[in-house]
Amino acid sequence: MNTNSPFFLKRIISVSIILSLVLIIAIFTGLSTGSTSSGPGDVFHSLFGKDKTGSMLDTIIWQIRLPRVLLAALVGAALSLGGLVFQALLRNPLAEPYILGISGGAAIGAITGILLGLSRFPGVSSTAFLGSMATLFLLLAMSSGQTVLKKESLLLSGVMVNSFCSAIIMFLISMTQDSRLHNIMFWLMGDMSMTDLNQTGILALTLLPCFIIIFFLSNSMNLLLMGKEMAITMGVNIKFVTLTLLVITSFMVSSTVSNCGLLGFVGLVMPHLLRLLLGPDHRVLVPACILGGGSYMVICDLLARTLPRQGEMPAGVVTAMIGAPLFIYLLKRTKK
Amino acid sequence: MAFKKLYKKNITAFFLVFLQILFLSSEVCAKRRLIDQMGREVVIPDNPCRVIALAPSITEIVFAIGCQDRLIGATQFSDFPEQAEKLPKVGSYVHLDLEKIVSLKPDLCIATKDGNPKDVVNRLEALKIPVYAVNPKNLQTVMDTILETGRILCAEKAAEKTAANMKQRLKKIKELVKKAEKKPGVFFQIGIAPIVSVGTKTYIHELIVLAGGINLSQGNTTTAYPRYSMEQVIGLAPDVIIITSMARGAVFERVKARWSRWSELPAVKNKSIFLVDSNLFDRPAPRLINGLELLVKLIHPELYLEP
Repeated sequence: MNTNSPFFLKRIISVSIILSLVLIIAIFTGLSTGSTSSGPGDVFHSLFGKDKTGSMLDTIIWQIRLPRVLLAALVGAALSLGGLVFQALLRNPLAEPYILGISGGAAIGAITGILLGLSRFPGVSSTAFLGSMATLFLLLAMSSGQTVLKKESLLLSGVMVNSFCSAIIMFLISMTQDSRLHNIMFWLMGDMSMTDLNQTGILALTLLPCFIIIFFLSNSMNLLLMGKEMAITMGVNIKFVTLTLLVITSFMVSSTVSNCGLLGFVGLVMPHLLRLLLGPDHRVLVPACILGGGSYMVICDLLARTLPRQGEMPAGVVTAMIGAPLFIYLLKRTKK
Repeated sequence: MAFKKLYKKNITAFFLVFLQILFLSSEVCAKRRLIDQMGREVVIPDNPCRVIALAPSITEIVFAIGCQDRLIGATQFSDFPEQAEKLPKVGSYVHLDLEKIVSLKPDLCIATKDGNPKDVVNRLEALKIPVYAVNPKNLQTVMDTILETGRILCAEKAAEKTAANMKQRLKKIKELVKKAEKKPGVFFQIGIAPIVSVGTKTYIHELIVLAGGINLSQGNTTTAYPRYSMEQVIGLAPDVIIITSMARGAVFERVKARWSRWSELPAVKNKSIFLVDSNLFDRPAPRLINGLELLVKLIHPELYLEP
C-alpha cells in the first residue's frame, strides 16, 4: 500500500478541501439564519470586521448562533464517523450508534446523571459514557453466540437493546415529577439551542483526539474489511484495533448524547452517501465523514430552526425524518 | 409650625430634584443592586423601560400594575389581558428563544423560579441581560410579588392598590366562608389522562381550603401533583369534582360523562362536576383571587343564595 501513498495523500487533501468548502458554506448559512433577520453581509462583517462594536447582532452571532452551529458540526461529525466505524467493524451497512442502541444507553446514563444533579461536564458525560459502554458490551454478548457479523441477528439485538433503553428512559422520566422534566424532554429529542461557547469548546477538545486516533486506524479498518486472515498477515492487531475503535466510538457517541440528546440515523446518511461518491477507502472516508457529517448536521439543525413558523423543533425530528426512510431503503437493497 | 414643616418638605423635595439632575447630567445610567426572590444579587436599571416577562403569570402581574408600556416582549400563551397577545413572543416559558430576547434589547427580564429553567437564566446573565427572578407560589407570595414588581418597575402606588384590592377580597371571602356549615370534599382534577390532582404543597390546595372545602388528595405529601386511578377517586367519594383544562367543550363533556356513570358518587348526585378556566388556577397572578371567588361559588353555592 505504501507505493501509492502520494496518490492517496493527494486524494485525501482534495476531498478534504472540497468538503471543507461545503462545511464552511453550511456554517455560514447557519450563522445567517435565525429568528431575527440579518443579511449575509452583516454576518460577514460581524465575523471578520475589525471594529467590534458590541452591537446586538454581534452578540447574537457570536454568543448564540456560533456556539450552536459549531456544536451541530461537531455532533454531526462524531455521529457520522461513529456510523462509519460501526459499519466497518461489524461489516454491516445498517449499523449506526442510534439503531444499535449505543445512543440509547448513553441517554440512560445521562438522564441518571441529570437526575442525580451532576454537572454536565465531567459528571453527566461520564455517566453517559458508562451507559454507552454497558449497552455496547450487552450488544456484543447478545450477538456473539452466533457470529458477530451476521446482519439480521446484530440488527435485531440492536433493536431490542434500543427499545429496552427507551423503556428505561420512559421509566426514569415518568418517575420525575419536577420542572426538570421539560428540560429532559427537549434535550432528549436533540435540542441545541442552549449551548454556549464553553460547552462547545469542551466537546471539541474531547472529540478532536478521537477523530485523530480513528484517522490513524483507518488503514487497519480497510484491512479488517478484507477479512481476518488478510488483516493478520498484513500485521494488524485485530483485538487491539477493534477494541480501541469500539471504545473510542462509544466515547464520541456518549459525549454527543450528553450534549444534545438522541439524534437518530445521523450515522447512516453521510457514510453511505460518501461511500457511493468516494469508494470504500477509509483513509479518505474518515476525514470526509467528519467534514460531510458536520455539514449535514448543520443543515438539519437549520431546518429544525426554520421549518416551524413559531419557535423551533428539536433537530432529532429532522434527522429521523431523513434517516429512517433511508434505513428502510438500505435494508431492502441489502436483502436483494 | 405648619410653615416650618412645609419648608422642610420643600427642601427635601428640592434636594431630591437636585440629586436627580446630578445623576442625569453625569450620564451614568442609574442602577441598583437588589436581592431577588431566589437570593441572587442582581443589578438592574433604576427605571427599567424595556422589560420582557418570561412567563404568562408575570405578564399578568405587569399589566395589573399598569406597567404594560414598559413591556416589550412576553412568552407564548401570554393571552391575558388581550393586549398581551400583541406583544412580540420570545418562545414558551420552558423553551425560550434566546436570539429573540437579545434582539429586543431588553434592560430587564423577569423570570419565575418555577417555570424558567435555571440554565436559561444563567445564559441570559452571561449575555449581560439582567434577570430578576420572582417566586410566587401562593396568594400571599403573589401579593408580595406584585409589590416587588411594583418596586422594580417604579409603580409602587399601583402595586399597593392591586395588592390591597386582593387582600380586601380575600378578607371578604374568609368572612363569607365562615358562615358555611359543612366542608365538602373536593377532588380537583388538573389532568384528564392520567388523572392528576393537587397535593398539599400546591397553592391550589390552599385555595380549596380557603374556599371552605377539603382537598381530598391532601394526605399525599410525596409529590405536588399526585396521579390517581378512576377507582381511587371513586373511593374518595368527592362531593365536588372540579376539572381545570385547557381543552374546552367536547372534551369536558366527555370527562363529565365518564364521571356521571357512577351515579352513587356524591358529586354526581349533587350535580357538582364543574369545568373551570385553567388559566385562573395555573398562573400565580392577580387573577388567583378570581379563581378563589369562583371556587367558593362552586363549593358553597348556598352562601350566595341568601340575600
